[in-house]
Amino acid sequence: MIRFVGLCKSFGTKSVLDGVDVTIGKGEVFFIIGQSGVGKSVLIKHLIGLLRPDRGEIYLDDQEISRLTERQYFAVRRRCGMVFQHSTLFDSLTCLENVALPIRKHKHLGKKKALVEAHKRLEQVHMEEFAQTFPAALGDGMRKRVAIARTLTMDPEFVLFDEPTTGLDPVSARRVDVLIRELADRLHVTCVVVSHDLTSIFSIADRIVMLYKGKVRLLGTRDEFRRSADPIVRQFITGSAEGPME
Amino acid sequence: MSAHVGAAVAPEARSGWVRRRLADVGAGAIDNARAARLLYSIFIRTLYYSVRGRREKGAVLRACYDIGNRSLFFLTAVMGFVGMIMVFHSCTQINRITGDLHLVGATYIQLVVRDFAASVGSMMLATRVGAGIAAEIGSMVVTDQVDALRMCAAEPVDYLIVPRFKASVVMTTVLLVWAMFVMEVSGMLTAWGMFNVNPRIFWNISMVDFRDLATGLTKCFAFGAAIPIVSGYCGLTTFGGAEGVGWATTRAVVWSCFATILLNFIISTTALYLFWV
Repeated sequence: MIRFVGLCKSFGTKSVLDGVDVTIGKGEVFFIIGQSGVGKSVLIKHLIGLLRPDRGEIYLDDQEISRLTERQYFAVRRRCGMVFQHSTLFDSLTCLENVALPIRKHKHLGKKKALVEAHKRLEQVHMEEFAQTFPAALGDGMRKRVAIARTLTMDPEFVLFDEPTTGLDPVSARRVDVLIRELADRLHVTCVVVSHDLTSIFSIADRIVMLYKGKVRLLGTRDEFRRSADPIVRQFITGSAEGPME
Repeated sequence: MSAHVGAAVAPEARSGWVRRRLADVGAGAIDNARAARLLYSIFIRTLYYSVRGRREKGAVLRACYDIGNRSLFFLTAVMGFVGMIMVFHSCTQINRITGDLHLVGATYIQLVVRDFAASVGSMMLATRVGAGIAAEIGSMVVTDQVDALRMCAAEPVDYLIVPRFKASVVMTTVLLVWAMFVMEVSGMLTAWGMFNVNPRIFWNISMVDFRDLATGLTKCFAFGAAIPIVSGYCGLTTFGGAEGVGWATTRAVVWSCFATILLNFIISTTALYLFWV
């Protein structure tokens, strides 16, 4: 279980998160939605120590983790994988080497053994034929699949997806949706997804939280969001240009 | 009425203005202290991982090629022209005063070895190498690649700065020794061609001794170490998108040049007290 309690974060004079309280259950597909710049990615980066809160606490299975050192966070990052918005594959490494890197660092395996395991992971996402290709030669959808393979190498209990379908064609986007749902259903992986993609949100989410002006606006199931009378929520989920949202 | 209200509010407004200005100064001081602490932390971690970090020869060799081989033509051209300008102005001034040019070669070689090749050459390298390092690491920061490295349990300083640090220490020293030679040759040819000075006096090393050589080489080594650390720091602290990368690059050049000048002052002063006083 993941728990954010009274989380506050500012960048300079700009307050991004202002007392966010969210609890995410095990095995859930949990979506974080909201306008651009509202702090969705900032929120999930706190869980893996890429950002540190100004105030508030973060619990991972009842262990308070917000005050850990960078080295202590390595253990948390073994349990929580993250698929970044831009795939973030290293251009100087082949796809196979990209996937092998966390295996070598986290599991302290030799290069040969790590490459063998990395190859198996690429097979899982049907990218084995591109093992020796450099990421720059691949399209966005393929890069995203390699990035997911890299994240899954550690068999994480929690996977954080930062806008996984942004920039993908509709077919690739739905394939990513299916992959996320399968992770939760088959492997009982908790998936936390930051997204604007309404199709994804209303097809695979178990629960959704909407952030607005640094606070939780609504936390609930898909049906609760559909039924919500809150004009801010309604404007967001209908994608209307007119409304009370600033 | 309005004058009365204005008089009543003015002291409060003034104290508010003063408080805001003091807060600005305080915030600036805190930011600078944080930046200095982070730079120091990167320096210490670079030294640590240079000894205890991963061993990947390919990364260091690639960085050597980028820093060394790719800077060779640029540095040769610039230092050649700098040598020509220096000798041209020196000889012109000496001709106006005494007209005796027989010591110009010996004093010139001393100046080049002890100070000039290292300080001017390293600033030229800061513009090319420093900007490149900051731009590359800054781009990785804004596209989350550095965060992805951290997610892979890899230390960004170990992966991104240490290979460049090792390569820069070696290649900057080699390039700056080469720059000494280039300045010497270009100066000699200028004096010979324009002032009819015998070229042999430019190989008169009577005024250069171990102390000059030690000071010059220490500077080469120190500047070679400073450029990747300062530029790496600027890259790792990039914030924002393309504009942030642009600012990181600018800061890398400015702060690397400043670092070389500051180190030059420290090393020259130390050498003065150690060797000459």
